[in-house]
Amino acid sequence: MSNARATDAPTRAPKSKPGSTRRLHLPQKMRNVELFLLIVACGINASAVVLVQLGALGHIDTTLVVLGAGLSGLVLCLHIVLRFVARDADPFILPIATLLNGIGIAMIYRIDIANGDAGWDSAAVRQTVWSGLAIACAITVMLVIRNHRVLFRYTYVSGFVAVVLLLLPLVPGLGREVSGARVWIGIGSFATFQPGEIAKIALAIFFAGYLVRNRDSLSMVGRRVLWMKFPRLRDLGPILVLWALSMSVIIFQRDLGTALLYFGLFLVMLYIATGRLSWVLLGMTLFIGGAIIASQTLDYVHGRFQNWLDALNPDVYNADGGSYQLVQGLFGLAKGGLLGTGLGQGRPEITPVPQSDYIIASLGEELGLAGLFAILALYLLFVARGIRIGFAGHDDFGKLLGVGLSFVVALQCFIVIGGVTRVIPLTGLTTPFLAAGGSSLVANWIIVALLLRLSDTIRNQPRLVV
Amino acid sequence: MNVSELTLLVLRLGFLLVLWLFIFGIVYALRSDLFGQRVRKQPKDGAPAVASAGLAAAFPSAVPVAAPVMQAAPAFVQPPAASAAAPTEQFSAQAAKDDLGPGDKATAQNATRLVITSGPKAGTEFPLTVDSVTIGRSADSSLVIRDDYTSTHHARLMLWNDKWMIQDLDSTNGTFLAGVRLAVPTPVPLNTTVKIGATSFELRR
Repeated sequence: MSNARATDAPTRAPKSKPGSTRRLHLPQKMRNVELFLLIVACGINASAVVLVQLGALGHIDTTLVVLGAGLSGLVLCLHIVLRFVARDADPFILPIATLLNGIGIAMIYRIDIANGDAGWDSAAVRQTVWSGLAIACAITVMLVIRNHRVLFRYTYVSGFVAVVLLLLPLVPGLGREVSGARVWIGIGSFATFQPGEIAKIALAIFFAGYLVRNRDSLSMVGRRVLWMKFPRLRDLGPILVLWALSMSVIIFQRDLGTALLYFGLFLVMLYIATGRLSWVLLGMTLFIGGAIIASQTLDYVHGRFQNWLDALNPDVYNADGGSYQLVQGLFGLAKGGLLGTGLGQGRPEITPVPQSDYIIASLGEELGLAGLFAILALYLLFVARGIRIGFAGHDDFGKLLGVGLSFVVALQCFIVIGGVTRVIPLTGLTTPFLAAGGSSLVANWIIVALLLRLSDTIRNQPRLVV
Repeated sequence: MNVSELTLLVLRLGFLLVLWLFIFGIVYALRSDLFGQRVRKQPKDGAPAVASAGLAAAFPSAVPVAAPVMQAAPAFVQPPAASAAAPTEQFSAQAAKDDLGPGDKATAQNATRLVITSGPKAGTEFPLTVDSVTIGRSADSSLVIRDDYTSTHHARLMLWNDKWMIQDLDSTNGTFLAGVRLAVPTPVPLNTTVKIGATSFELRR
């Protein structure tokens, strides 16, 4: 610890005797950068809410105070915690996550106004409360996990936890089915939760630990076919197990997106651990083959494919569960054009579920291409920071975990935004940080906390500058 | 209070502008991460180092000041007598005292420190408490060497079956173990010079 602190303030720190316990006042350069960016991000969030009110209501009222101040206060708490427990953590991750979360709340609030929801009915208020819970979880993670290598010990435990979380929605009485997908659990009529979101973190930890332990057999041996080295048949076990797992998610939970997310995460981590392209090729062949078979045999997958390929056909458009939502989203995006209609001045509420799955289409309508690309750039920066942290890691477990956690965010963005913009078939996943939904927020803020912890541990390694 | 169309237009364009300014602000702070570390001239002894801006925010452990860092960081013990001018006699004397031929391979048990033997920071020590030491110009390396001859990710020292191995990471100017350019990962003997750019170091007891 003391090393890195001293390196942060080379000119001011006086020569201290080894072992002296005198506390030095050292300026925290990185935390100050973070504080500055956080204040800017909170300012942008507040102005987004103001613009929504001006555009949709024509005046400013006090709901703004709850929405704006709530989130800002919480992230500042996290910032203060970082000043004590992770002084060298990456300064960009927290402001980016804050800004995305805040823009999401502003957009959800805008749709509340259109639907006339207020108080506890208002999704924006619930989203703010969930953000609070999520950030509290992030703070707990920061305080409990002081070194990411601790997680290495719990490799198989977290693998088990992931499987249990995945199976929970199938338990009778506990599982809930929402719009066809059985990925929710709920007790009573409220408090629904998507355990699969948390499972992705547990899976990332499990994959990282498992691959660090076992990658030699997966990367060293194999037969060369053409220019690529393919693994032996007997080493195909893990990938086949994962494939079976994701296929069973498609069949039993009826959720294409989650299956793609887990399998993609495993493939990328396998590729990074072994450096062999043949795994990716093999895995993609398996998954695409499985998806094609599923689209032939399973009705809901077939419907998704049809909505995607033939969206503008009037029959498909008017069918029950047809492409109405997708096409309305596209119309919204088209209405937005380059600069958007302005916050609060579009009509995003026409699209079904504009605040969760379709929040990207809502944002695209009101902020335009320029705003949508800004949001994509924020995701890009977030993921790039995560991969950079993984790249800078000194231990293989930390490297894999950093890359895995940030890639899962990237892949989730691709699946959702690609679905909304008709690049791939639409599947129900949440847009990280933006979309209304508590489980997704909790999971993504835990990812933030883990990345911050990783970046702090990495910078605390002994270093020498010549 | 009613707002005119014009005000709303200005506000909404302003919002997009601020959003993009935020993004460019982050990218500006990260630019050295994207475009690589700036090459810095080695400062003369005692002269204040020229700070290269920008990176400090991104991976600030790469504080671009060389000399004062070493004084501030207590883990890197700089022997008080070893001035940059005459470190060599002291070390050769020490090597003789250790009575070790350069034949012994450095292992996790017998090597405890990495000592810089030539270059601007000659005499500095680096504890070998970790199982891998990355060397390069990039700020995230464990041993950052900033001169014209070092690649961004130049080489790597790692414990492999309890032996310290050095691996050249496809560097432009090569890594030399006892004067021979490395082609494959090679075990490092104790008290043998490894040369990277203008800096050389040895692993010692």
